[in-house]
Amino acid sequence: MHMADALLAPAVAATMYAASGVTAGISIHKLKKDDEPQKLPVMAVTAALVFAGQMINYTIPGTGSSGHMCGGMLLSALLGPQAGFLSMIVILAIQCLFFADGGLLALGANVWNMAFYGCFVGYYLIWRPIMRSRWFGEGRSAQRARIIAAAIIGCIATLQLGAFSVVLETSLSGIAELPFGAFVALMQPIHLAIGLVEGLITAAVLVFVFEFRPELLQGVERAEGENSKRSLKTVVAILAVVALVVGGGLSLLASSNPDGLEWALFGNAEEGYAENMGLDEEDFGVSSKAADTAGAIQEKTSFLPDYAFSGSDSAAGTTVSGIVGAAMVAGVAILICLAGGFFRKKKKTD
Amino acid sequence: MIEFQHVSFAYEKNLPVLKDLSFRIEKGEAVGLIGANGAGKSTVMKLLLGLLSGEGKILVDGTEVRRETLGEIRRKLGFVLQNSDNQMFMPTVYEDMIFAPLNYMLSREEAEARVDAVLARLHLEELKHRYNHKISGGEKRMAAIATVLAMEPEAILMDEPTSALDPYNRRIVINTIRELEQTKLITSHDLDMILDTCDRVILLSDGQIAADGAAQELLRDRALLEKHRMELPLSLMGRDSSRFNERD
Amino acid sequence: MNKMQKAMRELAEMDELAARTSPIHALHPAAKLIAAIAYILVTLSFGKYDLSGLVPMVLWPILLFQISGTEVRTCFYKLRIVLPLVMAVGLFNPIFDRSAAAQLGGVVISGGVISMLTLMLKGLFCLMASFLLMATTPIDLLCAALRQLHVPKMLVTLLLLTYRYVGVMTEELAVMTEAYLLRAPGQKGIHISAWGSFLGQLLLRSMDRAQELYSSMLLRGYHQHFHYAGIRPFRARDALYLLGCILFFLLLRRVNIAQMLGGTLVG
Repeated sequence: MHMADALLAPAVAATMYAASGVTAGISIHKLKKDDEPQKLPVMAVTAALVFAGQMINYTIPGTGSSGHMCGGMLLSALLGPQAGFLSMIVILAIQCLFFADGGLLALGANVWNMAFYGCFVGYYLIWRPIMRSRWFGEGRSAQRARIIAAAIIGCIATLQLGAFSVVLETSLSGIAELPFGAFVALMQPIHLAIGLVEGLITAAVLVFVFEFRPELLQGVERAEGENSKRSLKTVVAILAVVALVVGGGLSLLASSNPDGLEWALFGNAEEGYAENMGLDEEDFGVSSKAADTAGAIQEKTSFLPDYAFSGSDSAAGTTVSGIVGAAMVAGVAILICLAGGFFRKKKKTD
Repeated sequence: MIEFQHVSFAYEKNLPVLKDLSFRIEKGEAVGLIGANGAGKSTVMKLLLGLLSGEGKILVDGTEVRRETLGEIRRKLGFVLQNSDNQMFMPTVYEDMIFAPLNYMLSREEAEARVDAVLARLHLEELKHRYNHKISGGEKRMAAIATVLAMEPEAILMDEPTSALDPYNRRIVINTIRELEQTKLITSHDLDMILDTCDRVILLSDGQIAADGAAQELLRDRALLEKHRMELPLSLMGRDSSRFNERD
Repeated sequence: MNKMQKAMRELAEMDELAARTSPIHALHPAAKLIAAIAYILVTLSFGKYDLSGLVPMVLWPILLFQISGTEVRTCFYKLRIVLPLVMAVGLFNPIFDRSAAAQLGGVVISGGVISMLTLMLKGLFCLMASFLLMATTPIDLLCAALRQLHVPKMLVTLLLLTYRYVGVMTEELAVMTEAYLLRAPGQKGIHISAWGSFLGQLLLRSMDRAQELYSSMLLRGYHQHFHYAGIRPFRARDALYLLGCILFFLLLRRVNIAQMLGGTLVG
């Protein structure tokens, strides 16, 4: 689910960077307040382990295929959501910098899609409420069952959210012709299966830890009496509302825009597409003075016209001379390479 | 320089690890701490470094090891861990070596000068900018020793410094240890190395001192060593190979 | 060779590339970082049909490859990660966008094809930019630069420490995986019966390692303040490089060099 730079428009990438950055800042602030200096080496070692652990091939019985573990839920169950979030950032950064798994400018989006949901939504809305509840009864085997349930539900839910975010970000960036509805229909089921497998793997590891060192797991303290029932009920209610809103919004979008965000992709430059998305998120769908000015500035400073969407130019803009010129540039590039190789050979013989 | 006065320690209530331990190490001495697994050697090190706290008094240069004095104590004691991977935690050797000096508020220039001096003395200049995860076990051990020396400690503690080293690197480590002027406390199962580097040996058994004396004498006492689940150093065993088949 | 061993090899390759010397390697890491980000931003800002405008952007990475002496093949090896992702999305473009865009000697090229090609090129160029950054900048210097750019200390220190142990953990898991597979002929991965214990065991051992690591830091005077050894001053030549790069990118963005050149030939 690591997004490449090319899949994002600068504005979307910047927005996601801001969102992830703010979350990181809040996490750092909370960790500083907790003042546990020994947490840093634990985070580093665990992050390194999860990084390596993502490469393990888990054979799925029955099928011939293998599954992998992502780590968001695992990290937040072991380190807590804030420390887990920072650890995921670092894992994603190393994957981006050294393995080109995820783009440099897409890091903000990748952190949000994979770390935010996994660590915060997964922990506060799924892991902790389930662990604190009385599902499955009392005793160790009940706690084990709760761990399994929380891990599976958590991984499925957070992966669904992550996959949906990928679709949203790509579509908002306007680089894909694939209609929104079709894109969603492709991404969600695949990630449902992936989430299930991931959940099972995470559950297995967490149960193992629980058997031998239960004190390592976070948030498993039982809430007393009424609190536990209430917290689970609240969470279920929240999730239900969110599902309704998202579902309703989705169906609205899908029905009124059969081509999926066509209104955003083509020929809206004249109307000042900045009004709808991109620069002026708060004024979604409402024209405002700020949005008009922004649109005007955009048209004038044409070297960055595609701030939110590409679509200000139409396909027919590409001319023959452009293509020929591109070929010439390629030739120049090859010449540079040859020259470089020539000079290096010369240096060696000196 | 280092003094243990009636020190006791237990990880859990009914499992004492050290029982009323008392000994004294003078400045400049090279002491080998030997004993079977579980005898309490690592616990002695950890108590000395303030990583654990038990009963009794531990003094370093007259200062008692307490929470408030830990900073001062740890500046004086350099510790070479058994697992160099846990000691060298920065990406490069240079960064690891400069870590302590910078923490001691030396200026960057002073710290760098110190690092260069230590590397030169140990003939390890080429390790300076190497990555810790790429150097060999022997190089890592030497880098760890260099890192500790960059602290300019008064005493050096070592936990199994020759473990997992090939003969060549082992010899380099042994020679390096011999040339260090600081007070030395070394725990090891490599009794030949202890023989080569230490003047005095303390034999720990079941949390108590079973023997404390000159290395050359103690390590030749076969009966004593075998009584405490150890053997003579290989270099002193002579040609009596039949003993390897004895099972008692 | 299992996945982990391959990953270690890749890490080692990047380390080796970054350890070389060249005028690019000598530049301040913050300048290189900002230049790379600017390049990616400008590249992404090209319209989805602006293929000819985009192509000249290749000149910057090509020049850097030559000046820094970095091999292109290591970069292209990483393309195997980027390209499938980009193609998974871009491949639909010719299907959904059939509008005529250009004609090359009788053959009509659809807008979808153009936008797909543009997308692929963007993917390639962005990869080259971030690859070149890391191929000429060791992690310790990069982290020092991030600190100079006011990225929070906790995050940068975590990055530094995690990087150090990624090699250790990957190596341990590689050994464990090999040992497992040697005892499980015919299996390609971890059987469900060992799902928990395989990683779980290493996880528990790692907690002890982390404890030792923390002790190690304390014994060397650590009290929450991490000092970065790689911090360097920003010199005039670094500023010149950065300014030059940004101006070059903006020029390429405003002026379609390819069209100009082609125009002189075609008329």
